[in-house]
This record gives sequence, C-alpha cells and structure tokens, in this order.
Amino acid sequence: MKILVCIKQILDPDMPARDFKVNAETKEAERGGANLVTNIFCENALETALQIKEKTSGKVTALSYGTDDTEDSLRKALAMTVDEAALILREGDSNPDAEAVAKVLAAAITKLGEFDLILMGRESGDWGVGQTGGLLAEELGLPSLAFVDSIEANDGTLTMRRQTDSGTETATVTGPALALITNNEFNVPRIPKTRDVMMSYRKPLEKFSLADIGLSAEDVSGSSFYEVTDLSIPTKDVQCEFVEGDSIDEKIGVLASKIQPVVAANS
Amino acid sequence: MDRQLYEPVHGAFREAVRQFLGKEVVPHHEQWLERGNIDKRMFRKAGEQGLLCVSAAEQFGGTGVADFRYNCVLNEEIQAAGVTSSGLCMTLHNDICFPYFQRLANDEQRERWMPGLVDGSLMSAIAMTEPSIGSDLASMSSSAKDDGDAYIVNGSKTFITNGINADLVIVAVKTDPTQRHKGMSLLVIEEGMEGFERGRNLDKIGLKSQDTAELFFSNVRVPKSNLLGQEGEGFLNLVKHLPQERLSIAVTAVAHCRWAFEETLRYVKERDAFGQPIGKFQNSQFVLATLKTEIEIGQVFIDRQIEALNEGSLTAEDAAMGKWWVTELQQRVMDRCLQLHGGYGYMTEYPISRAWADSRIQTIYGGTTEVMKMIIGKSLGL
Repeated sequence: MKILVCIKQILDPDMPARDFKVNAETKEAERGGANLVTNIFCENALETALQIKEKTSGKVTALSYGTDDTEDSLRKALAMTVDEAALILREGDSNPDAEAVAKVLAAAITKLGEFDLILMGRESGDWGVGQTGGLLAEELGLPSLAFVDSIEANDGTLTMRRQTDSGTETATVTGPALALITNNEFNVPRIPKTRDVMMSYRKPLEKFSLADIGLSAEDVSGSSFYEVTDLSIPTKDVQCEFVEGDSIDEKIGVLASKIQPVVAANS
Repeated sequence: MDRQLYEPVHGAFREAVRQFLGKEVVPHHEQWLERGNIDKRMFRKAGEQGLLCVSAAEQFGGTGVADFRYNCVLNEEIQAAGVTSSGLCMTLHNDICFPYFQRLANDEQRERWMPGLVDGSLMSAIAMTEPSIGSDLASMSSSAKDDGDAYIVNGSKTFITNGINADLVIVAVKTDPTQRHKGMSLLVIEEGMEGFERGRNLDKIGLKSQDTAELFFSNVRVPKSNLLGQEGEGFLNLVKHLPQERLSIAVTAVAHCRWAFEETLRYVKERDAFGQPIGKFQNSQFVLATLKTEIEIGQVFIDRQIEALNEGSLTAEDAAMGKWWVTELQQRVMDRCLQLHGGYGYMTEYPISRAWADSRIQTIYGGTTEVMKMIIGKSLGL
C-alpha cells in the first residue's frame, strides 16, 4: 500500500507562555527563540501510516509545504522510518491559508504519483483551522473522513473508525481515500531510535519549488476565503479573594452568595 | 554563543533523547530519588531506544559510528532535564565502562558481552577505588591469583557507581603483587559469580537515585576468559581511558551549569523583593553576568576537547585541565545560584538544592582537582 502523509511544522506549543508573542501588524505569531516542531496530530498520522505499512508492507511518503526549516520535521518523519520525503518550498514570508496549502499539496501529490491512502492531522496546533484536509480531498476528488483514530487495511479495503461527540463510527472505503487523523492511545508517535535518526540523513528528501509542481506564487496568494482582522494575546485579569467565615458552613454560605449573582448574570 | 560542535543529525538525536527522558525518566525521578535507586527497566528501554554504546559495531546492535558527540548529547540532555542522578547510570556505562570493552575485548568476549551492553540487558561498572586507596591505584590490595584456567580474586572495592545494579564489573586487581603498576590487570566479574557480594547502597549527600556500593570478593573464581586486555597492562589501560572519563565528567559539569543558570535566571525574574524582581538588583545582574561568561568560556573549552577526543588527540593534560576547571566552575555556579534562591534554595523541594549537592562529587571522582593539577604540573616538567 502506498501511503502519503502531509505534515506541518509549527511553533512549539510547549514554549513558555511568557515567551509567546504576536505581531499585530503581520497578524502572525513571532518565532523568537521558540523551537519549531511537527504538529502533534500530523505525528499521529505518521504513526498510523507506519503501523499500516508494518502490517501490510508498502511505502510511506511524507510531504510538507514550508521553509527550509521544515526539513527538520521531514527528517524526523524519516527517522520514524518513513521511506521518503518531499518538501515544497514556500515563497514569501507570510503563512498561507488552508485553501492555498490544499492547492499546493494537491499539485505536489499529483507530481509524486498515485497513493492508496492520504493522511493528515485533524488540525494544526497553531491556527487550528482544520480546513486543509477537506479542501485537499476536494482538490483531489477523493472521499475523506475526519477525526479518524484508527485504520485497518485488509485486501484493499480500509476500515476507518472516527470519533464523534457521542462515540465512534466505522466506515469502510476502498482507496484512494483521505483521512484526517486524531489521537488515540494506539497512535502515540514513536520516538525515533538512534540508528534510524542517523539513517534519516541518508534517505531521499526531495525539495521542489512551486514552479516544479506547476504553480506560481500568484496561484497560492490572495485566495483567502477568510481574513484575519486582528490578532492579540488575551489579557488575563485574575482576582483573588479569600472567603471569610468562622466555620465551613459560614464560608460556604458566603461563597454561595458571591457566586449566585454571577451565575444569574450569565444564565 | 552559538555552538559549532554539532551537526543537524545530532540535533535530531537530541530531540529523540529529550523525548525518551521525558517519557521514561523525568516522571519517575522523584520516586527514584526517594528509594535511592533507579528502576533498571529504564536502562533496558534506553538500550532498546539505541541510547547505549552507540559506537558499538552494527553486528552487535550498535551503529558503528564512533562519534563522542552522541554521548555528549545524551549527557547534556540528562542535565537539561534535571535528572542528573537518574541518568548517571547511562553516561557511566557509555562513556566510561564501554570503551574498555570496545578497545580491549577479544572476539569471544565481544560476542559474549557486546549485544547485552548495547541492548541494556547488561549494565556495567568499573571498580578501581578501595577502602584504603583512592588516587594511588598502584597500592591496591585486591588480588587475583593464578589457578590454572582461572584467577582467584580476593579483596574489596568501594564508591562503585552502578555498584548495586551492574551485571558486569570491570575490576582492577593485582595479578602480580610484587609489582606496582605493572602488576595490575583488569578482570570482568559477573553478577552471580560465587563469592562476589555487594555491600549496602551507600548513603551520599547527593546523586540520591544513583546506586553507589561497596563490592566484596571472597575467593571468587574468575575464568581467564574474563581477563580484559593483557595481564599486567591494567594500569596502562586505565590511564589510557581516563581522559575520556574526565571529559565525560566535564561535559556533565558544563551542561549542569547551563541548567542551573537557566533555572536561576527564571527564578530571579519571578521572585520579587522590595517591590521589584530580584533580578533587577545590580548584585544579581553582576553575579549572573559573571557566571554566564564563565559558563560560555567553559563550554568553548570543553567543545574543543570533544573535537580533540574524536580526532584522537585529547591528551591526559588537556583532559585534566578541562576536568578541574569546569568542575570547580560547577561548584561556584551551584553555590551562587543557590544563594540567589535565598532560603528556598536550601529546601530540597527546589531543584537547585539537589543540583548543589549532586555537583559536589564532581571535583572528587574521576580524579580530584588536586590530582588533575599534579598531572598538569608533571607535564610542565616540574
């Protein structure tokens, strides 16, 4: 089975909150000294793909659209034992929107060949838009399923389980298909082993420009179906008050009297 | 300053190490500190992860890549994760014990021990110090008498790191008591050999989750096939390996300093006194500016020594200079950083207090500061 996994590199969500800054003018987060890491749901997708490959054989390709820094995430994917990787180099400084990314990924996938299964993370940990997967499926004309937490591959049939608000649903599809992966206890990303880390720097990693995949900068700019009008960090206003009282019952009574108006005002 | 030592592949390895420590060591560190020992299953997992004996030949499960920088990345990340004592079993095994097997083991011994040393099923230790001798190794009294196809070993060793958990112990013994240096040999004594007993887990002021023990040998019959290197060349082999051991300690020292500095910098920005963060006071700025400068100097010095080790040109004198200078720096850094934490710095719940205690041994083991200066002094023709 040939599987392609689209991955995204983002600012480390575990960076200290005090170090997180946004640029109000460009309406983007500032990197500062933060690390760049692979989006966690993308790593869940990688793990899912590798487990399918290990059970059925085949090949896993990782694909990303980003800057030269994104090579680190693709090398990590290779260290997780992905077979090959491709990077489409972004042009310009600003982050593209979901529609633009879907266009680029679709053109890249068309160039890279045919795949039985395309996996992505359900959303990214920076903007959390969660639109790219659906738009990519539309571009490629593939069936897609979101919030998938496990996939079984048998005789060309893919059985996908997706999480819903009320439980799970199971769907069966013959490839090619696209799934947006969410996390579960079975797709926790593996930690690359030392030998595989070393080998990851000897595996093929192709870099393409937009022109290489038949696109121009104009094709992927100005396509916004939404606009970020403002970007700011919420200010926290913490007020602390100690409830006074001679007994627990009295304190509970005082506390209740303070809460009741707030509850009433918000109900 | 940007470090020029590492390549991108080391960065990728560093991330994998960080993930491993975050999953397998950090969550258990407090518990291991309390019980005075690690859970040995962690060591086995480190082997499965490929973190042990990285340079071992591929046929034994290693990578065959002889690059000490991988050892250093593991060491640095152990310090950065604040788990100095729980991680020491790995750095001791990798940096200090494994080179003896790598360089001295014959083919049969390699087949027998290498796979286990790499996959973590065999933890190693090295036993030199005895209750009555430390730096003066030639005066050791542990003996190994020739008895046909075996040696009969008697004696005791003390302050042995990994002493409780080790499966293989490289023991320095006198095979010829009439000689001093030339009478020493190295034997590998294995867990379960009759007459080999371990004493109690020694109670130290720091490195609380690191097992340190006395070892006793009473008529232990050690097959001659467990002789590591040639008979009578034990001292020579110890001396040859000491520069790497000392560099490993120095790497620990600088990485530990960096961790303590960052901890303290964060603290002085958050802790208020007299209406402002204590980091705003000129004294705090001067202290931290001095430490920052010295740590950077130490880092450059040690990075160059790591390169020299990889090139095969690290001398005993250079390693001695690095070891004494950065471990003494480590004492200053820990002391000054603890001071900036005030009373909280004296409380064991604050990591800086443990780091202060953990660091104290660094100017002692692997050769004291005084011995390091003797080595340097001799090299000056004095």
